[in-house]
Amino acid sequence: MPADAILSLNEIGHRFGGLNVLRSVTFDVPEGGIVGLIGPNGSGKTTLFNIVSGYIRPLMGTVAYRGVPLLRDSIQKRGLAGLVRTFQTPQVFEQMTVFENVMVGCAKLTRTTMLQDLLRTPAARGQMRDIRELAEAACERFHLKGLRDLPAASLTAGQRRILEIARAVVGKPRLLLLDEPSSGLNAQEIENLRDWIVRLNAEGITILLVSHDMGLMTVAHTVHTLYFGEIVASGDMATIQRDPRVREVYLGV
Amino acid sequence: MTSRLFWIAVALAVWAVLPFVVPRNIADLLVFTGIYSIAGLGIGLLLGHCGIVNLAQATFYGLGAYASAYCTVMMGLPSAVGFVAGAVISMALAYVIGRPILRLTGYFLALGTLALSAIASALFFEWDWLTGGTLGIGGIPKLDLFGFVLDRPSRYYFFVWIVAFACMAVARNLVDSRTGLMLRAMRDSSTAAASLSIDLQGLRTRVFVVCALFGSLAGSLFAHHASFVSTQSFTVDRSISFLLIPVIGGATSIPGIVAGAVFVTFLPEFLSKLGDIHQILFGLALVAVVVMLPDGLMGAVGRIRAWHVARRGSDAG
Repeated sequence: MPADAILSLNEIGHRFGGLNVLRSVTFDVPEGGIVGLIGPNGSGKTTLFNIVSGYIRPLMGTVAYRGVPLLRDSIQKRGLAGLVRTFQTPQVFEQMTVFENVMVGCAKLTRTTMLQDLLRTPAARGQMRDIRELAEAACERFHLKGLRDLPAASLTAGQRRILEIARAVVGKPRLLLLDEPSSGLNAQEIENLRDWIVRLNAEGITILLVSHDMGLMTVAHTVHTLYFGEIVASGDMATIQRDPRVREVYLGV
Repeated sequence: MTSRLFWIAVALAVWAVLPFVVPRNIADLLVFTGIYSIAGLGIGLLLGHCGIVNLAQATFYGLGAYASAYCTVMMGLPSAVGFVAGAVISMALAYVIGRPILRLTGYFLALGTLALSAIASALFFEWDWLTGGTLGIGGIPKLDLFGFVLDRPSRYYFFVWIVAFACMAVARNLVDSRTGLMLRAMRDSSTAAASLSIDLQGLRTRVFVVCALFGSLAGSLFAHHASFVSTQSFTVDRSISFLLIPVIGGATSIPGIVAGAVFVTFLPEFLSKLGDIHQILFGLALVAVVVMLPDGLMGAVGRIRAWHVARRGSDAG
């Protein structure tokens, strides 16, 4: 494993029933990079994502995060260590306002005990104030000010996507996992999303991006192609697009 | 704002005068309303903010009541000891039982809590060395505040309601806090909440413990009011009527909890004057509220207010 890898997947294998959905998947995500994962539907991209973020325990293989084995850690512990994901269908807190959604993203940066919260101690109030300030700044930054007090249920797909990213980023992640972030977005929104990915990466957030949108994938420094649970090609986007196996998978030639 | 203050002042004035102007049996029901509000408050937190149906509140209500009865009657200890013992035992039990059963969700969790209530109710009956069984424990002393004996409903009323208001303030604090934020996030999407490092299991367990604390407190207050406790007061039926409080009133609203408590204490009492059909009528009233006001009495008040504001707005425009 290279010293600068933030995430290392080693020989990951998994199956659902009799179906091998992942077969000895091995790759590294270098610190500060943008790594893409492409592949047709059912190729195992989301399963791999669920393994890294802790929703599934793989049957084989190991994952190391910043050099430390990750697989025994809970989803929560991974989140606290700076590994945060978004979902293929944006998971916003629908009955809460946009602002409250962003506040939830800040919650892990502070610690109060339940007793402090029940008694509304000065410490609990101070932390709530900090959370509000952070969320306020994030709303400003992600241009969510105008939507601030709307329930998240009323947002469009594009707005939900941005809200989900804002909510993840406000918690200061080191590694951001984006699962199909462009699905359901129009061309303009995809362009906007692209800008955000580049900007967040420039700020030092490593990004692992799953998508079958080849246009969006051009932001990635390295792209791995999954096909029926195996990595069939790796490299930068130009190399990938020339690869005969990828052309076969995507274009049928 | 001034109109809000005005209405709060009116409500407080009514609250302060009420026990002196109503007949004794109504004052007694008002005491029960306060006690039930405390028990219902905990269930409201679980239901409205965690989406958890708790059918076990009679267990903690019973533990509080028996702890107070046993400590004061059998052991001759001060009543404060009974309150504390009930609270500690209830919270410990809620923690120990809550950890495993709160892994369940939805109907399975509701059934789990129902099972807890059924088991507890059976144990209250079986362990007659502790609870007195069906004969119960009588002669529980009235509470005594520095020599001022709370022996009449009108006196106990103030004590119960001040405790109830304190519990409401604590519940409000929790809802407005960081914990409250995480609870609502968990209710809306537990998948996303987990990804934002919210400890779902731990949070649920802690709210369950707070709910048990309220239940136990209500139970102790009940024991000192009724002077007599027996198994009939802590059956699964009681758990169900506690659950009705937030369901009817509106789980996320504190006035809603009070409205729900009024409903479950007063309505059966008034309907019982109509003879044998009172239980059917209560059932019908219940169905009517749940069907016509799915977000509870307070949800309906909110909708009427929104409609009123909208109408005023359109008149002005």
